[in-house]
Amino acid sequence: MLKKLLLLETQGQKSLRSAVTACVLTGLSLMIPFAITVQVFLELLKPLTGEPVSWNRMWLLFGIGLAAFVVIFFLSRHDYKKTYVASYGQSESTRLRVAEQMRKLPMSFFNSRNLTELSSNIMTDCTNIETSMSNIVPQLIANVITSTLVCAMLAVFDWRMALSMFIMLPVSALVLLLSRRLQSRMFSRHVEARLDAEKQTQEYLDGIKVIRACGLGGERFQALNHAFLELKRAAVQVELASGSLMALSTIFLRSGIGIVAFVGVNLIASGQIDFLVLLMFLLIASRIYGPILTVLTMLPDLLYLKVSTARLRTLMESRPMAGRNDVALTDTGLCFDRVSFSYQKDTVLKDVSFTAKQGEVTALVGPSGSGKSTISRLAARFWDADSGTVRLGGIDVKDIEPETLMRNFSFVFQDVTLFNDTIEENIRFGRPDASEEEIRAAARAACCDEFIERMPEGYKTMLGENGATLSGGERQRISIARALLKDAPVIILDEATASLDPENEVFVQQAINRLVEGKTVLVIAHRLRTIAGADHIVVLEKGRVTEQGTHEELMSRHGLYEHLYSIQRKNAAWELA
Amino acid sequence: MANRKKEQGGMSRLFALASGHKGLLTASGILAALAAAASFVPYLAVYWIIRDVIAVYPDFSALQVETVAGYGWIAIAGIAADALCFLASSICAHIAAFGTQYELKTAFTRHLAKVPLGFHLTLGSGRLRKVIDEDIDKIEKFLAHSYPDMVASFTAPAVLLVLLFVFDWRFGLAALAAVILAFAIQMMTIGKAGPEVMQEIQKSSADMTEASVEYIRGMPVLKAFGQTARSFRQLKDSIAAYTKIMLSYTLKWENYMAAFTAIINNIYLFLLPVGILIGQGTEDYASFLLSFLFYLLFTPAVASVLNKFMYVSSSSMRIAGGVANFDAMMALPELPEVENSSVPQKTDVVFQNVSFSYDGSEHKALDGVSFTAPEGQITAVVGPSGGGKSTIAHLIPRFWDVQSGSISIGNTDIRNLSEETLMGQVSFVFQDVYLFGQSILESIRMGRPDATEDEVIRAAKAAMCHEFIARLPKGYDTVFGEEGVHLSGGEAQRISIARAILQDAPILVLDEATAFADPENEQQIQAALKELMKGKTVLMIAHRLGTVRTADQILVMENGRLAEYGAHQTLLERNGTYTRMWERYTQSLTWGIGRKEETHA
Repeated sequence: MLKKLLLLETQGQKSLRSAVTACVLTGLSLMIPFAITVQVFLELLKPLTGEPVSWNRMWLLFGIGLAAFVVIFFLSRHDYKKTYVASYGQSESTRLRVAEQMRKLPMSFFNSRNLTELSSNIMTDCTNIETSMSNIVPQLIANVITSTLVCAMLAVFDWRMALSMFIMLPVSALVLLLSRRLQSRMFSRHVEARLDAEKQTQEYLDGIKVIRACGLGGERFQALNHAFLELKRAAVQVELASGSLMALSTIFLRSGIGIVAFVGVNLIASGQIDFLVLLMFLLIASRIYGPILTVLTMLPDLLYLKVSTARLRTLMESRPMAGRNDVALTDTGLCFDRVSFSYQKDTVLKDVSFTAKQGEVTALVGPSGSGKSTISRLAARFWDADSGTVRLGGIDVKDIEPETLMRNFSFVFQDVTLFNDTIEENIRFGRPDASEEEIRAAARAACCDEFIERMPEGYKTMLGENGATLSGGERQRISIARALLKDAPVIILDEATASLDPENEVFVQQAINRLVEGKTVLVIAHRLRTIAGADHIVVLEKGRVTEQGTHEELMSRHGLYEHLYSIQRKNAAWELA
Repeated sequence: MANRKKEQGGMSRLFALASGHKGLLTASGILAALAAAASFVPYLAVYWIIRDVIAVYPDFSALQVETVAGYGWIAIAGIAADALCFLASSICAHIAAFGTQYELKTAFTRHLAKVPLGFHLTLGSGRLRKVIDEDIDKIEKFLAHSYPDMVASFTAPAVLLVLLFVFDWRFGLAALAAVILAFAIQMMTIGKAGPEVMQEIQKSSADMTEASVEYIRGMPVLKAFGQTARSFRQLKDSIAAYTKIMLSYTLKWENYMAAFTAIINNIYLFLLPVGILIGQGTEDYASFLLSFLFYLLFTPAVASVLNKFMYVSSSSMRIAGGVANFDAMMALPELPEVENSSVPQKTDVVFQNVSFSYDGSEHKALDGVSFTAPEGQITAVVGPSGGGKSTIAHLIPRFWDVQSGSISIGNTDIRNLSEETLMGQVSFVFQDVYLFGQSILESIRMGRPDATEDEVIRAAKAAMCHEFIARLPKGYDTVFGEEGVHLSGGEAQRISIARAILQDAPILVLDEATAFADPENEQQIQAALKELMKGKTVLMIAHRLGTVRTADQILVMENGRLAEYGAHQTLLERNGTYTRMWERYTQSLTWGIGRKEETHA
């Protein structure tokens, strides 16, 4: 259970085990001072029975105590070290495994809206695991073990006294157990509130331009303010509930010391136990509850961990897409054969069939929401089709391992993701082993050269988070340079020239012409004039192919294509009033 | 002001931040101290029991059972008082802490809306979010947990001081020595972590966060280029670096922590030699025995209170980093703002000799730009990318302030307008529409938060949104991003136009507003814009020259300067930059992908 909760693997289990062992050893060593104290008591009480105190024996006990002090020091240092090494090691390996897992998950997992949530939660989840490994789990197990040992020993001494010492333990534990459901619900609400606040924060930061333009800074932005207030409320509630329950169970448990006193006094007065037993039990009663309470206090934390790592576990349990990685392709034409696909509940594609031949340009057109982009994503296995097959060079793409498959594709998307690295490295993404010369050649072909040279350090200029300093057209051209460098046989252009100014557009157009030469090209474009020269045009409406053919064929059919085309001609002539 | 803040150390600065909750924090401190004091009561009770038993030794039948049982009750009362005071203290502390957390988060986000936009770009959202999600939360955790624990642990020596006078001072002194030693060890750990180390830790944690954000955000691209391994390596390195620095930092304390644990569990070792020395020479063995027993019994109580102190010192070190980071961000200068201002009578927008360059760049984004966008007319701004068009649009809402020259609306410098007045005068439609994860209704209502639902719907109709909104699963209550609802670029654009219509400010700034439109959308956006622009002073940044041909005035920006201006025809006749651009534009219209070279436009 712990293994699952903490996402442990063999190495992690091993180091956790040694951390627990270290903690148990420390726990046991902490009993030595207690044993010596009892001995000191016995020695001091001797005069009561007429014997003299042996001061030499007292010095001896002191000496043993000093030795024990040294032992405790080393053991607790050992356990401190073991615990932290185990926990940091474990969280490092969890973080890495999560990152590794993400590489293998299907693209569909990376729905743009979830990204911030994903990244933040994974890191926080890992940190939570880290703290519970260092501060909770080993101590918890060690305390359980040492407390049980003490219980057993006491029962041997006198079962009636042992019973009175622990009689309240079940009551106390029951309080916590009964409240578990309530707590669990509150924890989930708290986690939810926290996530929501984080999400709203990210949105606030991402949308800061709009926020400012609408004059909605700080608490004036309702959604964020609500999220913060809700977080505050949920947090106070969790504390109130778990705090009160904890206080209640503490009182129950610790009242055992009173019970020991009642029972002990009666037993000793009636001569059933001697002074030594009473003394021992009183001494232990004043110490034993601390560690047990620690266990009880930590339980809610573990519970919280279970809730907060749920997402992480889901992620780790998701299945990566399978496929072979030794596929040899002779042809790189794409063929959609009666493909249907739904996203969540909505049907996006229905019975779509068409062929995009190698060396030809195939255009996908249709109103927004007709499924154009989905087609390009199915080809590269961002998702797998629900029914029907997508073939690349005659092979079902489901049989090809996603990363292998991806080697055959180059994408130029409307929104370009850049990395916080130099321009050169950003282009090198296309092909990691490209030489500096090849990178420059690709940049020149993609018409990037001119603006890169203008930058303060040319190709070595750092771009900042997601290349915030570049214009849309410049980003677009970098992504084309990447694609040129990659030189994959299938090119997918998804509304690549949508957001460009005229100057940029001409450059990007030139770049695209160089990119698509001799390739299998799938192009999605708003502006029909840009694809009118395509070899094959597929018209989509509501997820179905309604017509296909060349521009001339489609125009003569007077269908949707002709309709869209004529609207656009009108738009092109649009002018301000 | 900013300097004074910096001079304050972590802890006192922390309490300054929480100063709005002084009452609660004081109450929490007092209750924590009471709880700690009450925690000694059971030990006292045990002592009394043993004392009574010894008094009758060895004839136990003479024991006053009721009296001893009374001690048992006292112990239970002490336990209850301890738990309840602790609970009360914890609740006070938590309310104060969560309140502080809320205030700081709000103050921080408010601040972020007022610093120049450049900070957002250069710092990146990851770092800013870390302040909100981590640094401020650390402050909350410290106030809620560490603060009461700290007060409680300081109670131990105080109680011991009192006991000094009640019982034998020699034992008291020995026990006090142990406590002071334990404290001293904790204090030494505080001194050991310099600000550099804390900064290093902060940095490596921020690096790791950033690397992971980039890793995940870039995953589609990484996969598309088969580059997951490389980016994975970067993330891996940052994770390894973080682990290494945290581990080496944590292990620095191993000796101190172990020594602390050893001492608080062995306080009797301090008492023992004192006891032996006193006991050997004592005349009155009975009273010596009682006070010695008392202290021996009492030590575990001291240990359990001190135990709380264990993590206080390390968390107070960690808090210093968080507070410093928070303060550093808060110290970023905000754009100066006036509180109240009257609404300008006229609505023409005048740029007077405006120069501006982005942070740290020597390149002037705008260089001595002067123009007037006359009231009620359409002024278009065109030019190559990097020419300064968007900068013009960004300076009007004061995302940044000009470095020289001035921008004024109806003769009032915009720096002399309050945010409220300025935003009441100008509405914006930007190229990159950002939709928040809220309902469509709320999203449009951002334009004017007090608008009624009817007004929102009217604006949506005017912006040609109503139809597609009505088709959404929950209409206007549909939350963007939920239930797989995603809007196309053109639809999002129309939402932002509806927002601007609702805002109904006399001046309108359009920043490449038709950029992401698909064919059908474009037609509707155009219709919506026409509606929006009626009778307004319009400043329109555009890249499709076709759309600006009939503007009253066209400004051509090149290399940060105003190269030429005038109406379309006038500019064409000048045969300058505009003419060149116009030729390019008409050329781009005839481009088509594919092998056939014929044109269809």
